[in-house]
This record gives sequence, C-alpha cells and structure tokens, in this order.
Amino acid sequence: MRDIKSTLKEILQANTSPEVFSWIEEDRPLNNAFMLLPRKTGKAPLNITTEQSTAISQAIPGFSVDDWTVDHLGRAYLLMNLDSSNKEEYFRKIENLFLAAEMGEQVALYSSLPLLSHHELWIKRCSEGIRSNIATVLEAIMYNNPYPSQNLDQAAWNQLVLKAFFTDKEIGKITGIDARANKDLAYVISDYAHERWAAGRELNPNMWRLVGPFIDDKLFADIQRLFDDGKLTDRRAAALAIIASNYAPAKTLLTKYPELEKVIENKNLSWDTILG
Amino acid sequence: MCCTHSFEEVKNEPLSPAVSLDGIKGMKFFDPHVHMTSRTTDDYQAMADAGVVALIEPAFWLGQPRTGIDSFRDYYSSLVGWERFRSSQFGIKHYCTIGLNSREANNEALAEQVMELLPLFVYKEGVVGIGEIGFDDQTPAEEKYYRLQLELAKESGLPVQIHTPHRDKKGGTKRSMDIALEHGLDPYKVIVDHNNEETVKDVLDRGFWAAFTIYPFTKMGNERMVEIAKQYGSERIMVNSAADWGISDPLAVPKTAALMKIRGISDADIELITYRNAITAFAQSGQIDEADFANVGGTIDQSQKFEGNTILRGGQQPRVDKSSIIIS
Repeated sequence: MRDIKSTLKEILQANTSPEVFSWIEEDRPLNNAFMLLPRKTGKAPLNITTEQSTAISQAIPGFSVDDWTVDHLGRAYLLMNLDSSNKEEYFRKIENLFLAAEMGEQVALYSSLPLLSHHELWIKRCSEGIRSNIATVLEAIMYNNPYPSQNLDQAAWNQLVLKAFFTDKEIGKITGIDARANKDLAYVISDYAHERWAAGRELNPNMWRLVGPFIDDKLFADIQRLFDDGKLTDRRAAALAIIASNYAPAKTLLTKYPELEKVIENKNLSWDTILG
Repeated sequence: MCCTHSFEEVKNEPLSPAVSLDGIKGMKFFDPHVHMTSRTTDDYQAMADAGVVALIEPAFWLGQPRTGIDSFRDYYSSLVGWERFRSSQFGIKHYCTIGLNSREANNEALAEQVMELLPLFVYKEGVVGIGEIGFDDQTPAEEKYYRLQLELAKESGLPVQIHTPHRDKKGGTKRSMDIALEHGLDPYKVIVDHNNEETVKDVLDRGFWAAFTIYPFTKMGNERMVEIAKQYGSERIMVNSAADWGISDPLAVPKTAALMKIRGISDADIELITYRNAITAFAQSGQIDEADFANVGGTIDQSQKFEGNTILRGGQQPRVDKSSIIIS
C-alpha cells in the first residue's frame, strides 16, 4: 500500500507548476506559507485519477480529497511537511494556525485532522470545531473525515451528530455514522423527535437510522407513531429502522407492511435513497 | 431642512419622500465600508434585496475599548471567519480591511502588540486593504501607528483605507494625505474616507480616491452627495454607508443610487460611484474576483432544496414573513 503523503504529493505536483510546487516546498514561517498559499496555487478543483483516489481511501479509510481544491491540498501538504518530533512545538504551531484562521483556512485545517501526527493532540480542537456555526467548517469535520469517528469520545461524537441534524447536514455523508451509533444517542434523538413533534415541525427521516439498532419498548413507541401518524417518508424510515433491530415486536409490526419489506429487500429503498 | 432652504423649495417637494428603490431595480451595489459585526441578519437580508452584492468591513473600534491582545485577534478572526460566513448566507461577498483604528492607537502598550499581530492577518484571503486607519484626536500616538501601518501597507502592497477625523476634519484630512505621500504611497492606492464638500476637491486634486459616507446627522446626507456628483463627476468617487452601532443606514448606497437616478445622474455615473470605483480601488489588493459576486441575485428559488436536504441553494437563508403575527 502506498503511503498517503507520497500520493498527496503526487496529486499536488500534477496540479501545480514546478515553480509553484517548489515555492510550497521552500522553508518559510508556517503562518506565512499557510496564509499566502492560495495566491500561488489558485483555487481550481483538483484533477485526480481513479488510482490516486483509491490509494487514498486505502491508506485512510473514509478519507477523500476528491472534492478538494488545489489550495486546500497545498495547505494540507504544508501540515504534513511539519516536523512532529517535538510534540509540544508541533502542537503550538498548528494550534496557532487555528487561532487566527479565516474561513478557508479553517476548512483546510479541520479536514486535514486525519493527516496530522499525534492523533490524541487534536481531540479538543475537533470538539471545538463542532461548536462552530460555519457550515463549511462543520462539513470539513463531518464529511469524508474519519478523524472524529476514530478519536472522539462518545459525548463529543453524539454532539457532532446532533449538531449535524440541527444544521441540516447530510447525515449519510458523515464518516462512521452507523459504526458509532449508540444507545445514548438513540435516546437523545428520540427526545429530539418528540420536541419536533410538539413544535409541529418536520423530522429528518435519517434520525431513525440511529435509533433502529437500539429499539426497545420505549423507542418502539416512536416507531409505532411513525407508522400510525407519519407520512410515507416516515413509514419508510420506520421500516428501515426495524431492519436494523432485533426487537421482536418491531419485527412483527413490519410484517404488516409487506410492500415496504419488499422494496427494502429488493434494495430499492435505503437510508441513502429515502428522500428520493 | 431649515434655514438654508427657501419657502418655495420646501413647498415644491415632499419633506420626506417615501423609500422607493424601483428606479434602481436590477442594479448591483458594492458598499466599501460597513461594519456588519454591529448589524443584524435583517440588515443583511435588506441589503441583499436592495442589490448589495459585496461589501468591505473595515476593522474599527467596537464602542467598548479592548484591553487585551486576544480581543483584537478574535475580532480580526471574526472578520475573516464568522462574519464572512454570515454574509455568505445572504449571497453577499464579504471582504475586509485590517488595521489598528486611531482611537485604540492611543493605548500604546496594547498598540505595540497589535502591530505584531497585524502581519498574521493582512495576507489572509479577502483582506483588501489596511484600514480603517488615520486620525481621531490627532495625538502623537495616533500619528506613530498611522505611519507604521502605512509602511505595512507598502510592504504588503495593499491599498489603504483612511478614516478622517470628525473634529478638525479639513486639517486632519490634509495631514493624513501629506503623511501618506511622505511615506511614498501611490495616492491611487489610498482611499480617503468620510469626505465632505470641504475636503473633496483637495483629495481628488492630489490623486487620491474620495469616499463619501452617507450617514445621518454626523456625516453626509445623500442629497448633498447628489450635488457633489453633479459638480465633481464620477472619477475616483465612491459612496459607502459606514453603518455601525450608531444611528446609520445599511441601505445608504442603494438609496443614494436611487436618489441620483431621480435627480438625473446618468446610469453610468451611478454605477461608477456605487459599484465599480470601489472594486477598481480595492482590487489593487489582488483579492477581489468580480466573478465571485457579479452574477448573484436574480433567480434564487428559496424553496429549492439541495439533494433532498433542507440546505437551500446558494447558501440562502429561508425567509420569515415579517408581516405575519404568527411565528412558526
């Protein structure tokens, strides 16, 4: 398997002129290089081969730079070039970038978390990023970024997922969304659903994706409500949730909706297509 | 509207014409000086509706003096971070100028630290100048940090946005220009702000850009602005709102354009004064790409959802019906 840095270097070289690439490689204060980089590279979307894309997802599962621009990758590359042997100095340098980052820099920094050394150093920073209300920053943390699911504790992870619902993110694009489902989160989401119902507001059907594996007698009441009072999307969500459950009464309930069972079985309905 | 108007004039025009921006429908505006940090989201919405497609937020005094360097850093960070995002939600491109304002230059111990901090920000994307800097009380400390920041502008190649003082405006404006020239700045890269009838001629004659702040009671009114446009034309002249935490108007630029239209200023001149000149002046920073905002507006269907998600196209915020008593 190819090492991630050599793949990213190859992509960056293919997307910059030799002059610009050597500018990136030159030694200068990190702050300046990081800030000035887009002036040198421009901001064009990256051209990436299928092989390169595959090599990246093999090196870091869940990670992708397919949607990145050349300045975005250039900044990530600067971070990867840092000497990380002195942990404290390494942390201070990168943390300083966070402290004065403009919007594009924040996106580059947070989306590069999986590429940084000493994973344990960035947990607080990542949790702080989730508190941001800047949409692109949240997306940089949530989408195509395996760092949160691999490093955050359960409380911080649950915050991330709730924040995603509150800010209308695409739940299916969150790396590790199903793997890190947990009972606490299922219960908080149930409470959230009750609040939305009380307010007369619509529910994101993907909420039930996180409830399904934990259906018990309490959560089952919500599932029944989806079937009884919900629209077609709600019933679809309830059916998909039951598929992930071992709770017997739920399994029995689903048999009353053979047409939903059938579309799921035929792979014509999934969490990714539920709104389609 | 008292002693300077004759009775006939008053009789012939309504005292306060109702706001109508019909005459400027479809026109785009660039407000090169507005402190959005101090404004509400309603203002962003209203500005977008009135045709404002881009703006510049100069770093300034927040009303409450800062006592530590971190307050400055967080403020500058917000100008390139949070405020930039807030603006983008309404389809308005947000730029800023970064600098130490004249009032706070008087806290010298802090000012020294700010000077060390500035290079961390002036090269950021979307930073289109050093500003707003200049004189307030015209103290020696103000002059010192004004000069130091002019040097920073030279070094970074950025335009300068000069705040001219309220008190002793004429003298302060002249002094600001003298010092800028003394430091070897090209006047074509310097925007002298808050001009009035008394300062404009000198500013233009010496090759600087003359910005006018349309701000009720303390700065320019837009009727006076129309007269200035008639007398001086549109070359190197621009208007802004400088809307902030005071009684001010974030729609000052489109309203002034509307009044110019009613009073017979040509569309070409209106475009230069309320849009194009600001871009020409501040694009010398290399940080303005007109394509980023020239085509916004037009057809944004607020009900359109993106990939089935409730994220609205173009990052637009959903609208609330302000005329309804029901809030849902």
